[in-house]
Amino acid sequence: MTGFVDAFTVLAVGSGAIFFLAGTLGLLRFPDTLSRLHALSKADNLGLGLIVIGLLPHATSVSAGLKLACVWLLAQLSAATASQLIAGVARNRRPRA
Amino acid sequence: MNAVTGARDRTALFALLVRAAGFLVLWIVLMGPSLKDLPLGMVAAAAATWASTALWPSDSDVSVVGVGRFVLRFLPQSVAAGVDVARHAFKPSLDLEPGFATHRTALPPGMARGGLCAVMSLQPGKLPVAVARDGTIEVHCLDVRQAAAGPMAADEAAFTGMLRDGMRNA
Amino acid sequence: MPDFLTGAAVFILVVTGLGLFRVLRSQVAVERMMAVQLLGTGGAAVILLLGTATASDALTDVALLLMLLSAFSCAAFTLGQSSSATATERAEEKP
Repeated sequence: MTGFVDAFTVLAVGSGAIFFLAGTLGLLRFPDTLSRLHALSKADNLGLGLIVIGLLPHATSVSAGLKLACVWLLAQLSAATASQLIAGVARNRRPRA
Repeated sequence: MNAVTGARDRTALFALLVRAAGFLVLWIVLMGPSLKDLPLGMVAAAAATWASTALWPSDSDVSVVGVGRFVLRFLPQSVAAGVDVARHAFKPSLDLEPGFATHRTALPPGMARGGLCAVMSLQPGKLPVAVARDGTIEVHCLDVRQAAAGPMAADEAAFTGMLRDGMRNA
Repeated sequence: MPDFLTGAAVFILVVTGLGLFRVLRSQVAVERMMAVQLLGTGGAAVILLLGTATASDALTDVALLLMLLSAFSCAAFTLGQSSSATATERAEEKP
């Protein structure tokens, strides 16, 4: 049983780490500010979500697990609002395309 | 007439109480269940409820079934958005064509429209940038060749299905 | 398992650091603001991993606070930017 749970954690946390790598690669490679913002808000958030899912079976109590889920929920909410706030500023800063 | 407003007040009060209970549960999750700290949690929940009325009026309700259907649609799309970005980032040759698309929303300004923008920003390849007063949303797309008006209208329909009348035409 | 989790934390720390380096070197103020978001998500992931690896639940609170701080600083940045933008517009309108 623990072997199964550990395999699940390795899989989820590992793929989460790959999405963080993708986010950074996008940040380095994407051509303009707004595209880089896509990479940051979408890939990194999925990475954090996968890591939280991977860590859930190791939570010491139900409330600790719920708190982990809260971190992800807050990250999701903050990414959704912050990325478009930043995008709005980026658009006002430069002449319209 | 009076009876109608009275019933409405009562449902609004009930909605507020449900919301306060939700905040209290959140507080207990964050701070740990301890009977000694509960009074403080109730004060915090009351303050949170008071603050939330400014953003989210108590007479605007959402339908539970709508939320469920919406989450079922939204979560896979949020995952697809991350996968989409990762696919582009790992591709040896960068195959992007960033640009802007527009979408005209029927939602009223305020919380509902802001919510739609927030949801759209987690969809694959899309990032709302600005909303004009007449409801035209300017959306930045990672790849304008993929972006059609159809998916955005479908997103909005799924989002609107979650709201009840009070919010839809507020 | 703790070794794997610590390894994953170090990997994400390095990757996030690379991203931070790129964003902070940028001349565009908006891209520097993206550093805060990056630090929020990446930092939260690292702290959660380390918290589970060392079995210290309190670190979850730290991750939660980090997310909260990054969300609020993004909002504050936007408010400051929009008020300074209207200020420059007004200044430009004056002859």
